[in-house]
Amino acid sequence: MSLHHPPTRRYRPPAPLGGRRRAAGGRPLRNAKAAAFLAPALIILGLFVIWPMLSALRLSFTDASGFGREEWIGLENYIEVFTDPDILNAVGNTLLYTVLFTPTAVAAALGLALLLNSPHMPFRSFFRTALFIPFVISFAVAAFAWSYLIDPQVGLLNYWLRGAGIELGNVLEDPTLAMPAVAFVAVWKLFGFYFVIFLAGLQDIPSSLYEAARVDGARAWSRFRHITLPLLSNTMAFVLVFAMIAALQAFDQIYVMTGGGPYGNTQTVVMEIYESGFRKLDVGFASALSYVLLIATLLLSLVQFVFFGRREKELS
Amino acid sequence: MTRMRTLLGAGAAALTLIGAGCSGGGDDGGPVELTFWHGYTEADGDVLEEIVDDFNASQNDITISTEVKTWDSIDDTLLTALSAGEGPNIVAMPAERLPVYASKGAFAPLDDFYADESSNTANLNPNAVAMEEIDGEKYGVPSGFVPLAVYYNTALFEEAGIGEFPRTWDEWVQAAEQLTVDEDGDGTPEQYGIALPDHATVANGLWPSLFYGNGGGIVEDGEAVVDSQENAETLEFWRSAIVGDRISPTGLDGIGSDELFSGGKAAMTVGGPWMASIATENDIDYAIAPLPAGPAEQAASAIGISMATTVDSSDAELAAAEEFFAFFLNEENSVKWSLGSGWPPLRTDIPAEAVAENPVVASLTEMSDLGRPLLPGVVNSVDVLTAVDELTQKAIAGEDVDTLLGEAQTEIQDALDD
Repeated sequence: MSLHHPPTRRYRPPAPLGGRRRAAGGRPLRNAKAAAFLAPALIILGLFVIWPMLSALRLSFTDASGFGREEWIGLENYIEVFTDPDILNAVGNTLLYTVLFTPTAVAAALGLALLLNSPHMPFRSFFRTALFIPFVISFAVAAFAWSYLIDPQVGLLNYWLRGAGIELGNVLEDPTLAMPAVAFVAVWKLFGFYFVIFLAGLQDIPSSLYEAARVDGARAWSRFRHITLPLLSNTMAFVLVFAMIAALQAFDQIYVMTGGGPYGNTQTVVMEIYESGFRKLDVGFASALSYVLLIATLLLSLVQFVFFGRREKELS
Repeated sequence: MTRMRTLLGAGAAALTLIGAGCSGGGDDGGPVELTFWHGYTEADGDVLEEIVDDFNASQNDITISTEVKTWDSIDDTLLTALSAGEGPNIVAMPAERLPVYASKGAFAPLDDFYADESSNTANLNPNAVAMEEIDGEKYGVPSGFVPLAVYYNTALFEEAGIGEFPRTWDEWVQAAEQLTVDEDGDGTPEQYGIALPDHATVANGLWPSLFYGNGGGIVEDGEAVVDSQENAETLEFWRSAIVGDRISPTGLDGIGSDELFSGGKAAMTVGGPWMASIATENDIDYAIAPLPAGPAEQAASAIGISMATTVDSSDAELAAAEEFFAFFLNEENSVKWSLGSGWPPLRTDIPAEAVAENPVVASLTEMSDLGRPLLPGVVNSVDVLTAVDELTQKAIAGEDVDTLLGEAQTEIQDALDD
């Protein structure tokens, strides 16, 4: 009905993009306006992201301490990054952490998302909220809480497990168990986010596909393998890349729970960056290490996107 | 158009704000104003505030305002504050952190100040002053220097029938064995004779102290000396006592040791003056004794705090800061600071009677000359201490001591050569 009336001030159909050009004035003004709208974001990005990045790039070629004198030392910092045994140890630890964290977090998130996507699941909304809560808690707080839970003297978890005949021991001081422990805390803390993303992805899959598959006699595993997984591949790529980036940046819970110990077994690259910058005041080296980590992360993300992009093409 | 103007206005306002944030305060010709960061948060903090207030009241030219932070957050924020030109004029920090800042040019040298008779530095404990030297130049003034000591539970000592505190390592271990109780015989004592951490020890000082006791050390004259027969013996001796005789749990760190002692589960701990108040809070009757003598000598690594002046200061501000240091170190304030903070006096000319009213200070003052600065002048103390932690932790875990010492020697020398 209303479509037959001339548009009123209160009910105006949306103009197509750029359709209000004449009303607002000429191109220069439009550009100025766009710039004004973008300015706050650009100023913030420029000041807090781009300028620090450029400044860190410059510092990475110097022996800067952050104040006072600094000298240009060329590639020395970068050479040290690739030769210092402590850094190589930290790289190994970071990769181990990534291997422990990423598949576990993604599998847990996907498994629980599948479970809680089922309409037959009782208390669905309660569980969905409950699983997301750890993600809302500050990482440092979560790390402190877990340190107390697994404390060999006063830990609640140790106490319960002891009741069941399992002696957990001093996990954070154990050279083999410390890394799995800090990775576990990260899984607990972060998987809720991936879980929500998976849930959204699952809800995007049309139920008619499952119905058709059912009619054709496909079993649960086949339906998962041939419908769910392929149609989730975009979501999967996103979650994997995010989880991997989170793993490569591991710092918070390690700083709180083990401080990189026992004897360097949980020392990650970001811990090294922190230590070089803030403990040894070698800001130049810390910047170089940050750049190497940045480029490694970019490359790994790129590889994953290309892989998933190709898969998706193959599937379609 | 109105919206456009508002937007531009907001942008301009934002820029103005940013601009304002970048410019610092100006010199208005009034009194010199100094900022002083420190991490004294307990009773010691109150006394320090009092001394600062007294100083501000004592003259009209200088006003000091303090900013209390935790020691860790001072370390985390000083670098960024100084690089932004917003750092404090005076900063107090754990003494082993001084060399790295000084070597990077963050602190002003104080040799002239020390040379000045009115600086009240002539009678400072020379071991405390040694903490302040980097490459022959002094960059700080000590505000605390106390040797690690044994804090012991007198009730448990009485129960075990030990009348006198041990004086040698052998007696020490023997006493610890007597105090270790495994009632149910399951191999895990319910009460330990002593809490001896194998890493992250109090002020990183336990193992250096034990090394000194047998005539060993970690760094001497800028060279790593950790790989020695003396240190190998020390590690073997204590490994046998901790693991073999089970006088202490393994895998402890400094905080865990404090907790065992304050929970009444360990009869002795090696710690700093704060253990006195922790013991009192936990209703533990305690006494303080110097670390028993090792086969070679009696010595203990000291917990040290230094105050320094930063490069973010003008000449007038530096002179003003020095004036405060001299005031802080005068006889009256030395006694006041010592009594209030519970740390022994920094000046050797303050008689023990002057601080007798505080029994903790009195006992610590008696052992003051046993204290040795931890890694004085070592710029990369981070890596050196990490290497020591790794050495002791792996040694107690049962790895070959000679191999470990060789590795630690290389790592420490590398850190020193950095």
